[in-house]
Amino acid sequence: MTAALSGVAFRYLPIVILAVLWQMASEFGWVSTAVLPPLSSVFEAGWGLITSDDFWVNAGASLYRGGVGLLLAIVIGAALGIGMAWWRPVRALLSPIVEIFYPLPKSALIPVTALWLGFGDASKILLIFLGCMLPVTIGAFNGARGSERTLVWSARSLGAGRLRTLWDVVVPSAMPELLNGVRTALALSWVLLVASELIVARAGLGYLIGFMGDGGNYDGMFAVVLFVALLGFIADRLYQMAMQRALRWRE
Amino acid sequence: MAVNGAQIVIDRLSHMYRPPHGKPVLAVDDVSLAVGEREFLALLGPSGCGKSTLLYLLGGFLPTETGSITVDGKPITGPGPDRGIVFQHFALFPWKTVRANVMYGLKRAGLPRDEQEKRAQAFIDLVGLHGFEESYPSQLSGGMKQRTAIARTLAIDPEILLMDEPFGALDAQTRSLMQTELLSIWERSPKTVIFVTHDVQEAVYLARRIAVMSARPGRIKAIIETNFDRRDPHLFKSKPFVDKVDEIWDLVRAEAIKAQGTRST
Amino acid sequence: MARIDDTLAPTGAWLQGPRFASVLRACGRQLIAWSPVIVLLIAWEAVARSGLVTPFMLPTFTGVLERIATDTASGDLPVALGMTMWRALAGFFISAVAGIALGVAMARSRAFNWFFDPIISIGFPVPKIAFLPIIVLWLGFFDLSKITIIVFNSIFPVVTATVVGVRGVEKELIWSARNFGTSERALTWDVLLPAALPQIFTGLQVTLPIALIVGILTEMAMGGYGIGASMQTASRFADSLGVFAGIVEIAVVGYVLVKLMSLLRARLLVWHPEALEPTTA
Repeated sequence: MTAALSGVAFRYLPIVILAVLWQMASEFGWVSTAVLPPLSSVFEAGWGLITSDDFWVNAGASLYRGGVGLLLAIVIGAALGIGMAWWRPVRALLSPIVEIFYPLPKSALIPVTALWLGFGDASKILLIFLGCMLPVTIGAFNGARGSERTLVWSARSLGAGRLRTLWDVVVPSAMPELLNGVRTALALSWVLLVASELIVARAGLGYLIGFMGDGGNYDGMFAVVLFVALLGFIADRLYQMAMQRALRWRE
Repeated sequence: MAVNGAQIVIDRLSHMYRPPHGKPVLAVDDVSLAVGEREFLALLGPSGCGKSTLLYLLGGFLPTETGSITVDGKPITGPGPDRGIVFQHFALFPWKTVRANVMYGLKRAGLPRDEQEKRAQAFIDLVGLHGFEESYPSQLSGGMKQRTAIARTLAIDPEILLMDEPFGALDAQTRSLMQTELLSIWERSPKTVIFVTHDVQEAVYLARRIAVMSARPGRIKAIIETNFDRRDPHLFKSKPFVDKVDEIWDLVRAEAIKAQGTRST
Repeated sequence: MARIDDTLAPTGAWLQGPRFASVLRACGRQLIAWSPVIVLLIAWEAVARSGLVTPFMLPTFTGVLERIATDTASGDLPVALGMTMWRALAGFFISAVAGIALGVAMARSRAFNWFFDPIISIGFPVPKIAFLPIIVLWLGFFDLSKITIIVFNSIFPVVTATVVGVRGVEKELIWSARNFGTSERALTWDVLLPAALPQIFTGLQVTLPIALIVGILTEMAMGGYGIGASMQTASRFADSLGVFAGIVEIAVVGYVLVKLMSLLRARLLVWHPEALEPTTA
């Protein structure tokens, strides 16, 4: 137990070293506190923030936008990808369109969605939906295309109809690559969310970062930045754990 | 070709395989064959001779384009639970446990849940996998995977059992154990078995009738009847058995050499 | 014999030959394959002209093309495109070189790995774009801070891909190289990097779009010249032609860059078994 604990401590020691260096840098005046506020005051500001309603209103706005946009992207993106793999006409129709839009740098959608839906929730949800859908589609498509034909045949000869086989064989076969696509989409959704809130918004964590920076509240700004980083990290780790659980049949 | 009493009638069947890039290949050429009820027939030939294609056509996985296949007088239109199949590479659902794999066909047949479980357990026990019900295929050895696949197919009680080199991916010892086991299962509940293999000894040991196929395009070159006492522990060394294997091996050898020559890669 | 005749045939003769027919057929196939995109563009034009939506919401495709032509003639577009590409590609190349170097160091040295592994594994999933205001605070609004943010965002996939690739090099390959007397330094260049190239290249292919995405974001957030900046300005002034012109331009740039990367991959990895597989793209 203690051995495992000290192993973890040794592993994450570099992070602690960085944190200590940060604190020392401002403590001993190596850099101006205007440029790098001491870690301790960032933590203080962070504590002040998470006990304020204002902060949670902004965090709630961000999570709502990201959650709804990502959910739409996953559901519709997965359906499109599997549809493309299973029905040839769908593939012929959609694959050139996917091929054209997939390499589009997704951030270019920010002004378009703002143009269509303004600066509120709807434009952010649309942005995240459009920006995150294609990685899911591609993952689902590649996964579903890779489903072995003998598996499909086995299900058919065990009495499953075509639609039943799609659900029982093709969808689970697509799962590993589909879930990888979702992981990419998850990371992308954070980038698009925070960036669009930084650029055009009246609420949200990205907005809060920009607002505090403009107001010269650097302690607060650093605190929100670290909070966003932490949220992104936790979201990814939780997702990975869920993914490993869902795919535990692969050894 | 009308054959009285035959369950499966294959009449002048040809099949063209069209790869997405490249020229079409004639895989099965003008094959006619009748298989009686509860017969154990082996389709023997060199690799790439179209014997698996023939089996897939019987399974209804590939569409019949030229010629006809009828089962009990009715043409095949697609896959169905009357014809169970066992593949060389097992084709187990990797995301389902052994139990869930064996239960799958029973669920599709609409059996009540407790019935499904009882029947699945009976077949898991039959193939000797008691204690591995909750394992995933990735945790099993090759032989255990193939036992699961056989249990899954037997559980739905198909009239016809199609086997596509089912022991080809197993090591020699497991293979010989599985052959004996298959025979004892077959003797307890005889079904029509069509068994694809390129192993002459396996074909002679298991089947009552062997259809030897030529190299591509696949035709039936000869049909050979065998009848041995399969419970004889010294069968493999007995003179009649060895002679039979030699006789058939001579037929296959020429085709195997031809197949080597036409192999594209 | 036929082949020699072909090469000796005077130019122009191929117009009648079977080769011309096959070229024509290939063109036809391409046209059919891409017809959904053409239909999409025609549908865009039709919807924009029908009056179903206001020109503000969706300007016509031909109008957008005209705008692109005007911006090209006036020199605005080449400058904006040049600035965007310069920063994105500079960021990409710095990420590539530094990322591969760090990845090799981490794969070969325990100390490097000890120090950087937690930083990389924590930093990878973090939305690093949130650090943008901090970088601006430190480095100002100009190219230096923009490129820094691009590198900060796009170096992670290169590092992890390189570490995985170099660690995955077969022991036997390293041993046999050592057996020939390869020095430690030559080992990296002659064995480790080529053997890890498939993975490293995949990392680069992941990173290039990130560099472009982040490059455009920095322009939108911080201004300056560039396609992202001009789209942002257009959006602020409700100039929807400008916004859609930007989308079309950036879509073309993204498509060309991604295609170039896969062509380069095919060239560099001819020795790899993947080169024999049919492409899925």
